Amino acid sequence: MKALEVIIAIGVILGAIFGLSALAYALGGWIEAGFPFFGHRLVESGLPGWAWVSNMLILVLGFVMLIATFLTLAERKWSAMIQDRIGPNRATIDLPGLRGRPLGGVFHVATDALKMLTKEDFRPKVADALLFNLGPILAFAPVLALFAVVPVGPQVTVFGQRVGLQVANPDFGMLWVFAIASLAVYGTSLAGWASNNKFALLGGVRASSQMISYEVALGLGLVGVMMAFSSVRLPELIQGQTTHLWGGTVELPRLGAVNLGIPAWGLFLQPVGFIVFFAAAFAETKRAPFDVPEGESEIIGYFVEYSGMKFGLFMISEFAEVVILAAITTAIFLGGWNIGFGFDSTLTRALTQANLGWLLGAIYATVFWIKALLLCYLQLAIRWTFPRFRYDQIQSLGWKILLPIALANIFITGALILVDPSLRSLAVLGFVEIGFVLALTLRRPEPAGHEADDAHLPADAHGHAPPPLPGAAAASHH
Amino acid sequence: MAYKATKNPTTDLRERLFLPELLRGLAITTRHFLRNLFNPRDTNVHVVDRKGPNLVSTVSYPEEKTPYPPGYRGLHRLVPRDDGKPRCVACYMCATICPAQCIYIEAGEYETTDPSSESRVIEKYPTQFVIDELRCIVCGLCVDACPKDAIRMDTGLHTPSEYNRSGFVWDIPKLLQGPAVSHASDPWNKRASSATPPHQHHEPHTRIGEGLVPLKLPTGEQQKRTEVTDQAIPVTRFLKD
Ligand code: SF4
Ligand code: SF4
Repeated sequence: MKALEVIIAIGVILGAIFGLSALAYALGGWIEAGFPFFGHRLVESGLPGWAWVSNMLILVLGFVMLIATFLTLAERKWSAMIQDRIGPNRATIDLPGLRGRPLGGVFHVATDALKMLTKEDFRPKVADALLFNLGPILAFAPVLALFAVVPVGPQVTVFGQRVGLQVANPDFGMLWVFAIASLAVYGTSLAGWASNNKFALLGGVRASSQMISYEVALGLGLVGVMMAFSSVRLPELIQGQTTHLWGGTVELPRLGAVNLGIPAWGLFLQPVGFIVFFAAAFAETKRAPFDVPEGESEIIGYFVEYSGMKFGLFMISEFAEVVILAAITTAIFLGGWNIGFGFDSTLTRALTQANLGWLLGAIYATVFWIKALLLCYLQLAIRWTFPRFRYDQIQSLGWKILLPIALANIFITGALILVDPSLRSLAVLGFVEIGFVLALTLRRPEPAGHEADDAHLPADAHGHAPPPLPGAAAASHH
Repeated sequence: MAYKATKNPTTDLRERLFLPELLRGLAITTRHFLRNLFNPRDTNVHVVDRKGPNLVSTVSYPEEKTPYPPGYRGLHRLVPRDDGKPRCVACYMCATICPAQCIYIEAGEYETTDPSSESRVIEKYPTQFVIDELRCIVCGLCVDACPKDAIRMDTGLHTPSEYNRSGFVWDIPKLLQGPAVSHASDPWNKRASSATPPHQHHEPHTRIGEGLVPLKLPTGEQQKRTEVTDQAIPVTRFLKD
């Protein structure tokens, strides 16, 4: 029955995302149409272009902050499951129906927030008051500002107005991401400096050098996608990814023409760019395995002197960065809200005919968030899977590995786009690269010279069965 | 000969490429995640015997308790006599042998008019008997040393938690608990007359409840005796007697 409970929980989450998206579309359309109310309009000519207000409230304060808040719980709960533990399950609410039910630990979010808000806000006497207070603000604000250019849902018609789920769509699109992402380092290094603590200072210095070295790879990793779709505006990148690389149209009864094609997702065109960008952006979030600025086991990090909600701001901005990295990666590499493989055209045709623009938009936004949440899981799983890098390894990974790979990728991509503007040869190269890595991954290890891995243990061992002794294998040959 | 850190320095393409190995690592953690997410947890307190696809090996303590292994003896108790008084004769053997020096005894003497000392067989009793459970190293030497089987470790309990240290200093009201024990040759249980053959008057090593013999007590005392059960006996009961 646990499986059923989990499926119901996933359904509730998706339902909440769908409802919030539908609300965002409805609110946006209502604002743009000039608040129609029983046939009357508050503003006669409507308020074209003012949907950004509701988008900002619902996307940034609603989606990003809510998901980031729940990720603090998810990090603890998911890591527990990865490590065969139970995780937080003690906080309950003493109300009828909820009594004694931890509901997977959701109430720990509330207790955590309460703890953060009520703890003493302590400032060391020798710390610089202004800079010390500025640190968390400067670390937190850019993270939220980053989300402004991320499109969550397509432009659809609601209340006769074209509404999209995006706060702003400037010409410089992705350049905004680069510019603002590098601002976050000021908060970190200011916090490290202003604390007047040598460990905090070490953390701040480590953070700034790490951010600066990965900034380069971060930008270069995306150049391939920009070249392929010749734009830096994120909605146009998503539009470009909805085109089909190869495809045949099938005539289906009742559904009409369906294009069963392979969409030109950035991941298929630019697998190398994806890896470079994802690794670099991961380093920017300062999470393990790139967590030397924090260095829990050695220096505690740049926020060692912070307590209460100021520390909470650092922590929540880390999780907000996780959400935003997932959203940007979804938009650039996973086709944004595009479902692909023949679903889109049918869905769009059916719902546009039925004049249900908000439904179409909400479905697409839900698809977007499903992809983004999977990427969030990927980031959390990475944090709980990989060992930390040493500091020099971080620098050499950034400068000696990611940077040359990104540059080579740019040249090869550029050459292939020049030769074949239909992007098909680029996609062939991408599929070959993906296939190569997958083949290497799935190849069974040679038995000689490798220790017995997980698969050789008895199925129900629960990790208690001792691995076969090294002498046992040798003895059996006699 | 130089020491070689790795016995097998050959790495294949997959290991040098790093990425496939990362993906394999992620596959392992995700497999654990999905198995634990979708399957109910086996709550068998014997973790090693847990079955099923869920791999969680936590024993969720207050609700699930790992049973103590066989042979666990647990917290001390002072063994009561049938009349509710401690069997202890305040001989200081246990306090002397205790390596942690955590037993404190103050001896008192029975009045000659006291029924317990009628025959002057039992002369002493503890007015204070205190064990500091925080200092006790649970070695069991006191049990071995006692000549009167007056202190036992057979409760099977562990020391309950307390809010301050003084709560761990156990005195007679807390220590005196459990079933009463009488041996055939208990000095307050002498042969009524020479009609009882002397060979019945030996002192077997009994377990709890064994060797209980009917006492010859005044009828009022007989009533009291049945009340001596598992509960701790209030200190006033025998100090005031
Ligand atoms: S068990 Fe050992 S340490 Fe504890 S009271 Fe008895 S003799 Fe002392
Ligand atoms: S408990 Fe036993 S050893 Fe200790 S003082 Fe009493 S009779 Fe003597």
